[in-house]
Amino acid sequence: ILSIPELFLLYRFTNYMRDKLRKWREENYRNSEQIVDVGEELINEHASKLGDDIWIIYEQVMIAALDCSRDDLAWSCLQELKRQFPDSHRVKRLAGMRLEALERYEDANKLYDSILQDDPTNTAARKRKISILRAQGKSSEAIRELNEYLEQFVGDQEAWHELSELYINEHDYAKAAFCLEELMMTNPHNHLYCEQYAEVKYTQGGLENLELARKYFAQALKLNNRNMRALFGLYMSASHIAASPKVSAKVKKDNVKYAAWATSQISRAYQMAGRGKKENKCSVKAVEEMLESMQITMS
Amino acid sequence: MAGPELLLDSSIRLWVVLPIVFITFIVGVLRHYVTQLLHNEKKVDLQQVSDSQVLLRSRILRENGKYLPKQSFAMRKHYFNNPETGFFKKVKRKVIPKNPMTDTSMLTDMMKGNLTNVLPMILIGGWINWAFSGFVTTKVPFPLTLRFKPMLQRGIELLSLDASWVSSASWYFLNVFGLRSMYTLILGQDNAADQSRIMQDQMTGAAMAMPPDPNKAFKSEWEALEIVEHRWALENVEEELMCQDLNFRGLFSEEEISLCLCL
Repeated sequence: ILSIPELFLLYRFTNYMRDKLRKWREENYRNSEQIVDVGEELINEHASKLGDDIWIIYEQVMIAALDCSRDDLAWSCLQELKRQFPDSHRVKRLAGMRLEALERYEDANKLYDSILQDDPTNTAARKRKISILRAQGKSSEAIRELNEYLEQFVGDQEAWHELSELYINEHDYAKAAFCLEELMMTNPHNHLYCEQYAEVKYTQGGLENLELARKYFAQALKLNNRNMRALFGLYMSASHIAASPKVSAKVKKDNVKYAAWATSQISRAYQMAGRGKKENKCSVKAVEEMLESMQITMS
Repeated sequence: MAGPELLLDSSIRLWVVLPIVFITFIVGVLRHYVTQLLHNEKKVDLQQVSDSQVLLRSRILRENGKYLPKQSFAMRKHYFNNPETGFFKKVKRKVIPKNPMTDTSMLTDMMKGNLTNVLPMILIGGWINWAFSGFVTTKVPFPLTLRFKPMLQRGIELLSLDASWVSSASWYFLNVFGLRSMYTLILGQDNAADQSRIMQDQMTGAAMAMPPDPNKAFKSEWEALEIVEHRWALENVEEELMCQDLNFRGLFSEEEISLCLCL
């Protein structure tokens, strides 16, 4: 029996935890250990205070539990959900995910196939089947299935991103660039897609691609001044172009200017970082040496 | 100009204002549960979903194509609009015109929608107008022009009365829209008692759902895409970027400093 102030604190605590879980859910965080800690306590101790939110929390905690290999917790969440929503495709998908976590891929596939028979437009089941192929290492089949999926559901951004990763792993950079272009088109203000696209272009190599890479690194920086990877990428692509023997004098001059600007910004960043720290002098010098060693020399 | 302030009988407050709020609220909650009972799953056609996504992609290409390199944009435009093999030219969908009068599922949906939303509003509004007519119920806190008088002061035939003083019917309508947030509190998100959201949905639904004739939609999208030119947004991005120093504010916390040093 808790006193009034204790009850009040408990109420505040459950609300706070519930809001935190909602934030993680809505922003797609994957901090599974934290979710399991918080969620398990909420479910076991404070289930009554959660009301109807408890079902979505069960789902969230179950997926996190699968990530942390907590099959006991996942199983109990699944049982509760099955009892409340007996014929739900959404719950079936969760059961399939549990089978995947236990590496029972055949059974999982059968389950997903039964969902798709019932509802051919169910995207979740199709995507899980593709994840199974990926987990089994069958990347070319996964790529093929994912392409077929994307032909029907052109707007699925998660799928485009997954496909770009698959292509990068297969070193098919041209196709990976295409996927990233789709993402950039639908999310023009996301600096991470610009940066990834620039990195793929840089990896492809060749003067045209390096120029594109430099432009998109610059765009990523414009969208987010603090993207250090893009800053280094800008430096590398500009120096690379400047060092190439095939460029005109004007292009070379421009790129040297860009590289110099990037260098100054990098030094500025390190100096700001080391403000008031003893190691500052050494680290700034280390950065300068590193930049010098990264100079592309003509072979 | 504000007229002389009227003093209303306090029993108006007790027996009119509060009961109307009560009634509106209860009816809203009832509507929510009735809608849930009558609700049935809508089967979604795969082809329609796919087509609507394709149209969306084409629209995005028109709007944001300037962020892509010229060649990528040309490649996609070609995919859609190429005279022989372009998607919008090649793909013709078989269209079965759905006559809303004879198509049973659409008819029942329409009837259900009307029954649960429009009918109660009309009934209750009419009853309130009949039961609580002939007197002024409340005053809205902002001044209104005379044009609002016939609308808001049904049943009160006073020429000189300020338009801010309204009848019970307008108080009822105020409640219908005002109690939305109360419904969210009690019934959770996505509740069927939220009439204004339903009306909003009807407006956006018409814009987003597949129009009954996908061929027409394809043709108009083809025309729109045909005239779009590619003006690369990144033409001068380096110059624009370098005109000022980068703003690193917020970049450096304890962990990130050590991460940077490890680079």
